[in-house]
Amino acid sequence: VNKKSRTRLLIATGVIVVVFVIGVVFLVQKQGAYYRQVSDLTSGQYDGKNVKVGGRVIDGTISRDDSGVHFEIQDLTGKSDTVEVSYSGQMPNTFESGVDVVVIGKYASNVLTADQLQTKCPSKYKGSASPAPAAQTQ
Amino acid sequence: MTLGNISLTLALVLSVAGVLFLALGMRWDRADFIRNGYYAVYGFFLATVVASAVLLQAFLKKDFSFGYVAENSDASLSVFYRIAGFWAGQQGSFLLWLLLIAVVTVVIALLDLSKVQRLTAGAVMVMCVIGGVFAALMVLNEGSNPFVPAEAGMMPFGLNPLLLHPGMVLHPPALFIGYVGLAVPFAFAISALLLGRADKMWVNLSQKWAVFGWLFLSLGIGLGAWWAYVVLSFGGYWAWDPVENTSLVPWLTATALLHAMTLYKSRGLFKHWALGLAAATFWFTILATWTTRTGLIQSVHAFERNPLLVWILSGFLVVTAGASIGLMAWRWRRFASHDQFDSIVSRDFMYYLTNLLLTLFAVAVAFGTVVVPLTMEKTVGASTYDAIAQPLGVVVVLMIAVCPLLAWRKTEGAELRKTLILPLVTMVVSIPLWLYLGFQSNVWGFIGFLVCGFAVGAVIQFVLRSARRAAGPGRSLWSGMGRAFTGSRTRTASYVVHFGMILVVAGLLGSAVYKQEETAIVKVKKGETATIGDYTLTYMEMTGGTGPQNSTRANAVFEVSRDGASLGTLAPHTEIYPVSGAAVRAVILGSPREDLFVVTDEPFDDSSKTLALRMVVFPLIQWVWIGSILLCVGAVVSLWPKARRQEQEARAASPADEDGELGGASA
Repeated sequence: VNKKSRTRLLIATGVIVVVFVIGVVFLVQKQGAYYRQVSDLTSGQYDGKNVKVGGRVIDGTISRDDSGVHFEIQDLTGKSDTVEVSYSGQMPNTFESGVDVVVIGKYASNVLTADQLQTKCPSKYKGSASPAPAAQTQ
Repeated sequence: MTLGNISLTLALVLSVAGVLFLALGMRWDRADFIRNGYYAVYGFFLATVVASAVLLQAFLKKDFSFGYVAENSDASLSVFYRIAGFWAGQQGSFLLWLLLIAVVTVVIALLDLSKVQRLTAGAVMVMCVIGGVFAALMVLNEGSNPFVPAEAGMMPFGLNPLLLHPGMVLHPPALFIGYVGLAVPFAFAISALLLGRADKMWVNLSQKWAVFGWLFLSLGIGLGAWWAYVVLSFGGYWAWDPVENTSLVPWLTATALLHAMTLYKSRGLFKHWALGLAAATFWFTILATWTTRTGLIQSVHAFERNPLLVWILSGFLVVTAGASIGLMAWRWRRFASHDQFDSIVSRDFMYYLTNLLLTLFAVAVAFGTVVVPLTMEKTVGASTYDAIAQPLGVVVVLMIAVCPLLAWRKTEGAELRKTLILPLVTMVVSIPLWLYLGFQSNVWGFIGFLVCGFAVGAVIQFVLRSARRAAGPGRSLWSGMGRAFTGSRTRTASYVVHFGMILVVAGLLGSAVYKQEETAIVKVKKGETATIGDYTLTYMEMTGGTGPQNSTRANAVFEVSRDGASLGTLAPHTEIYPVSGAAVRAVILGSPREDLFVVTDEPFDDSSKTLALRMVVFPLIQWVWIGSILLCVGAVVSLWPKARRQEQEARAASPADEDGELGGASA
């Protein structure tokens, strides 16, 4: 009897682990956002995909209506590319023209519909021992 | 060198001395060596106390010649927040952590001074290694040292205004106490592996520490979530940010560890699980630091990147993992379980499943937080974690429900059917409540709530059964009720904790699945309205005021009504700080049924023409806070020292206590 129970236990464990791993890998594949630069988006390769990009909010592009906030961000690697962002979630306190933001969301027909918007961490958190790294995506 | 740096260096030297003495004493079984090791530990403790006192003194006396003090404090702060400045940044956090390690280590050493057991000596040695690593980190890496003098002409920064909240002041120490408490089972596990002692001694010596660590980790996570909810104003309490995730991971493995330890002690089962979970929990606490402090993972709160820090912490992670895996492989056979697994329909299997699922969830969260960003150029967001966490949360509640209905080893069908009645009744009784709250709008959520209703019955059933047994044949159920609660602290704790967990999961489901969110642009004009669900907000007036740290405040006052009945006023506001600028602040109208959360999307002042209003309704969110408090209460109950008489009673009663407990065996 014990041997049979043991086999059952192993089978149950195997099934749970396999189902779980497949589920996690599937979710990461499907929902994971590619970490890219603004300039990468113009290639068209990421149309309809989830992306995470960093950029600088361009002066004078911020507008707000009932559907949320719209603005454009500038590439951070020195290229001239920009992309329009539309966001309806809660605004971080430090959001304003000229700040560096990280947006995560779906990129389609030249608009990035963000479901997450983060501004770069307040300088408060940086130590003073070494110069703060350039606000830069990896 | 300053006193602070001298003390830190001394702490490093003494921890190394402690490790050497204890290692030799343990190897040669020499009590005098072990005692000398303990004396070194006292010195290590005193040195860290002096170092901490120097820093605390600097904060209290507003000594801004310390760079760290100038960065995290200013002259305007109250004593409470000046003390909080101690752990507001990376350097002070490391020192606080070191101090806590020293306190715990010295307590373990003191308790063992008369006995001088090799097992304890080994554990103290491991704690000394951990303390030594933290001391070395501060001594060797200037960026982690709180005693670096301020640059000339540096103005005090003050505390980040977001941190001016009691929840945030207490959150870091609670988390660190949790981490340090959970280092103890790891230390004892390593010691047991080194000595090859596969008996339950190491569990006996470290179980209370594990509960203690779990308690404070739960408290720390709960305080962090509460702070995020009321202060960060992002419209939620959990954002699946790396900082949050990496504190959740050790909590999950620690929860599994508590369950594995219980069966290790009572039945000699799950020995490999207990060792592995003790090691994994500790490893994940270091991973949490590695993730947030090295800046390798992008996070809102991440600290700057620092090469030496990365090397030390990465090295520590590799060594810890290598040592744990190596030792476990070496002693694998010796720690084989000496009891058999009989049936899938048993409480044993539920414990097994608890360990397995919590571990899998922990690994998945760690994978998504650390491995995916580092190796796949991708990030995973809240929706992915939610998709894993929500069904798993329901499964966990289902296990809480099913576990007490099953017997140890094997369950008979007739017995099972009888115990199913009460949970089914509470499940049916709960349906009108869920319908009243409108939860039928989401099928999966509704199923989750049915499971919660069922689980409540299962916990009640379990209390009743204990009372029945305590009363004995022929006497009324009520006469046994007192004993059911006072008979065993771990059992009472398990009722409370599991009931709390049901509330937490119900609250998480309610506030995540049934959350409503609306935005509206409201003109600044008396009588303008915005609505969400049954709520109507009517703009009344703009008032001014002052806030902390010389800030000025603009309040937009709204009258809130629900279905026409007035509920009072809410005033979302903007605080303008002289140094750090404007920040919007949310306000919450709370009730056990749901919270109405109101914030503006943009800072405003009395010259603003419109307000970008955001309104969120979180059903049942208060259940999360109440449930979290119950988790902590349960842990406190199980830690509460027994009166001598009760202890004897419990010991006399335990062999006859066939049924065991929901979540713990008798002490």
